[in-house]
Amino acid sequence: MKVIVDYDRCEANAVCMQICPEVFELRDDDTLHLHTEEPDESLRAKVMDAVRRCPRQALSIKD
Amino acid sequence: MELADIDLVNPDNWVPGVPHEALKVLRHKAPVFWQDMPGSDQGFWAITKYDDVVAISKDPATFSSYRGTALLRDLPKEDLEQTRTIMLNMDPPQHSKYRKLVSQGFTPRMTNALEPRIRKATVEILDQIAARGSCDFVREIAAELPLIVIAELIGIPIEDRAKIFEWSNRLIGYDDPEFQTTEEDGKMAAMEIWLYANQLAEIRTKDPKDDLVSLLMTSEVDGEKLTEMEFDSFFLLLAVAGNETTRNLISGGMLALIEHPEQRQKLLADPSLLNSAVEEMLRWVSPVSQFRRTATRDTEIRGQKIKENDKVVVYYQSANRDEDVFVDPYKFDVARSPNNHIAFGIGEHFCLGANLARLEIRIMFEEILRRLPDIELAGPVRRLRSNFINGIKEMPVKFTPPRVRAAG
Repeated sequence: MKVIVDYDRCEANAVCMQICPEVFELRDDDTLHLHTEEPDESLRAKVMDAVRRCPRQALSIKD
Repeated sequence: MELADIDLVNPDNWVPGVPHEALKVLRHKAPVFWQDMPGSDQGFWAITKYDDVVAISKDPATFSSYRGTALLRDLPKEDLEQTRTIMLNMDPPQHSKYRKLVSQGFTPRMTNALEPRIRKATVEILDQIAARGSCDFVREIAAELPLIVIAELIGIPIEDRAKIFEWSNRLIGYDDPEFQTTEEDGKMAAMEIWLYANQLAEIRTKDPKDDLVSLLMTSEVDGEKLTEMEFDSFFLLLAVAGNETTRNLISGGMLALIEHPEQRQKLLADPSLLNSAVEEMLRWVSPVSQFRRTATRDTEIRGQKIKENDKVVVYYQSANRDEDVFVDPYKFDVARSPNNHIAFGIGEHFCLGANLARLEIRIMFEEILRRLPDIELAGPVRRLRSNFINGIKEMPVKFTPPRVRAAG
């Protein structure tokens, strides 16, 4: 599972960070930082939830 | 209530409140419902289930905001082109380019920097009315904060905010005889806004400041500066969207707290619930009732065939009361969790001002709960006649003036 961020779409709403802080961190300069691009399978449900709930559809995953 | 009785178009049906009963019947019996439009040859598909509203919002290639605009009523050809210069009525990739011009002004960091200014404005608003013990909550409290904040962001001189208030009432209130007597008057209001925007643009060209007008004056899309019409459309959208919706959320949120005293008590006893209370107010009120899309090809929703060019209208208040998503959806619960409401929409047109609105609402209720904890209704609540905006025009309230309370 690889997490892909579309930085053109991301507007730093931080919804992903609230759902899955293990992977997503919104930095003070409003940029999204990934702790890991390939999170552990145990986080799949949370990452999927973050992808689904991103208000700007800026996230996707590739298996 | 039978399906045949349901009419979501007639604004009279929205005067007593959001027609939740009709929306519930639709969710259960006809989640993709063909709504005739009396007096018009073209009806539309009314979409009332949460999952469908989300799916449609996330698929602008199939459900366009551009083709027939995001507005329910079909526009005459001569108005269509002009209306499409407003970002609300664009599709990607065009929409993304225009949105990027201003989106950096609305990130959490940018809005959080406004907190001290918003706090000061809120305190001043409440100080103005505190000693009187009564006021019109809508005009004197709820309307003031968003007007002050958006005026500052855009670069409108603060003393002109009453003009913005009046213009947006006339633009949004097109179905309410109190605000707009004729369709022409709405167009007049838009023209007055454009005239005003152009004057402001001229001033800022000579003397740029750190505001959105100055930013837009120097912005480019595809290497071209904004045309006058594009600039005016930006100005209109920011000025109207930035105040009307927040005003109605603050009024509607206050009314919800007044009508649910046990929830207000809970919030007073535990201020850490404020953030979830704000989210619940957003879900409960959903200031924007609906937006329209137009199908760009033959498609299907829940097995219902949708033809190219059919109108599809998504109902946010219904999505936010969907029994399949929210436990006990008709309960106003300041501690609700999870609360994945879509009062701000989702996807391409997700409310640009969501962070700002949340901040304004939170600060306003922090200060109201602290200063006017016993605020109550003092007369009838008068609602906006509109199938588009869940609005309150007047809400007389009374409260113990803070000093009296402190002394007593």
